[in-house]
Amino acid sequence: MQVFIRNPADLMPATAEITEALIREYINRAVTDVFKTMVGREPSFSTPADTPQLSQSLTPPDRPQVVGTVGFLGDVNGLVYLHLDLAFARLCTCHLLGMTEQELEEAGDEVINDAIGEMTNMTVGSFKNGLCDAGYPCKLTIPSILRGTNFSIEPISSAVRHVYFFDCAEHRVVADILMKSDDQG
Amino acid sequence: MRYKVLTVDDSKTVRIIVKKAFKPFDCEILEAANGVEGLAVAAKETPDLILLDITMPVMDGVEMLTKLKSDPALKAIPVIMLTAEGGRDNVLKIAKIGVRDYLVKPFKEEVLIEKCSRVIDLKPVNEGPAKAKSILDPADILVVEDKPAIIQQIQDGLKHTPWRIKGVATQGEAIDCATKAPPDLIVVSLSLPEDAAFTFFRMLRTNLKTKYTPVFALVVKTEVAQQQQAQTMGFSAIITKPIEMGELESKAAKAMNLDTSQRYYAVNGDLMVMRLPETCSPAVLAEAAAYLKPKFAEAVDAGFNKVVIDIHQVKSLHMGIIKLLFQAMQTCRDLAMQFVLVGNTQIISECKGFEDTRGWTFCDSIDDAKATLSKAPAAAPQLAGAAT
Repeated sequence: MQVFIRNPADLMPATAEITEALIREYINRAVTDVFKTMVGREPSFSTPADTPQLSQSLTPPDRPQVVGTVGFLGDVNGLVYLHLDLAFARLCTCHLLGMTEQELEEAGDEVINDAIGEMTNMTVGSFKNGLCDAGYPCKLTIPSILRGTNFSIEPISSAVRHVYFFDCAEHRVVADILMKSDDQG
Repeated sequence: MRYKVLTVDDSKTVRIIVKKAFKPFDCEILEAANGVEGLAVAAKETPDLILLDITMPVMDGVEMLTKLKSDPALKAIPVIMLTAEGGRDNVLKIAKIGVRDYLVKPFKEEVLIEKCSRVIDLKPVNEGPAKAKSILDPADILVVEDKPAIIQQIQDGLKHTPWRIKGVATQGEAIDCATKAPPDLIVVSLSLPEDAAFTFFRMLRTNLKTKYTPVFALVVKTEVAQQQQAQTMGFSAIITKPIEMGELESKAAKAMNLDTSQRYYAVNGDLMVMRLPETCSPAVLAEAAAYLKPKFAEAVDAGFNKVVIDIHQVKSLHMGIIKLLFQAMQTCRDLAMQFVLVGNTQIISECKGFEDTRGWTFCDSIDDAKATLSKAPAAAPQLAGAAT
């Protein structure tokens, strides 16, 4: 699968084509780096046997999810959804902020949302920095959070979608990347 | 001086992580959630350092940085970017506006602190009033020397102290030891191959954990050029080979900021005992003199008003000792303390040879001194001690 993007010859002397392999490499590096540095966990890239259909929920049903979203805008446009199950989101928040479960309970959901928003920001930042250095300058948007159980995201038809799964102990992290091809707006 | 660090980030999580990272250091963390708030706090508080994110609502970091650098009152404040925006071109563009450093998220707290410590002189916070360490407390000394005989000499020479002396032979081992568990003092031989001592010293001074650890240079007496280089670089002291252990011990205690008063002053029952050692070098006398008034005053404050000035260990009398003894006696009189002298035959006979000390009278032992003091009338201290 390939994404065709305007070749900004007037801005960049040379650009690498954004292939699926490149996207996979960048997102793998970004997820691994962020989780290892910030929460001391090393997720491994995985291709689950029970890979869900993209039209279905990407995460196990009935398991509450916290999903961080950050976009990137510029010579390449897109959006990344980072899915974490609630239990893992709580664990990451505690580690990031040096809090106990009890303290987190008292602090409330807002703290979890902010922490996962920031982890998504770092992940997408790292991912898009790869794109920038490959000749596609773009900027990040402000993070937002979705919460819920058993939901699926439906991209618009012009978007190209890449979904990657990462295993982190008993938890799964899903990076759902939607990129807009330039010739369609 | 308490430094002020302003963190400007729309993520509360990042601001909490920054606060957590700086917690062990003596500085105040100010917070702002966007560029507008950041500029307002900067103008009001004039922080010593700003940590700035880029992607923020209301006003982003690039706009805030531009405004900050165009304000004459604020442009001197150093800024370190702390952001997920790390594309080469972005970094270059922002660096041109004027930043001290650039840290791309995700980041380790240690790296953040290390970068900040290059801009402000971060010092560990003291939790409660610090109790001065004394020469009776254990301390760790790392000796970096490729000649085992020298390490052995130091270990033997200081074995009467409670200090733990660890010897290593190479720069690699030294770095490992110094960074894992920073010692209280490092002694490094300048004769290590390839100027390793100087490289090691530079590394110690750039590492926040060892930035303030005293470092002694160990060098052959005749190697003047190396001694000068060590002095210029800022080694805490130079110890020459052959090592004079008394000098090393005294300099080490001073460098480690140890309370050495116990060497000369102790409470024995209801008495304050001032004791001079066998050899009284100028350094020893200066050290004893420095504690004299505070120690005697402390004794009076605690209810002790009798002093034994014990010089029975002193091998030979000289002017420095006599001056200190006069000073001690005068302090006793000023504080209305009774005092007696304890000496040995050699000292007593030498005292007869000086005009000023001829009239001094001595007790033979501490017990003798105690007995003399107990007989003396409390209201007449001048009668209880040496004649002057």
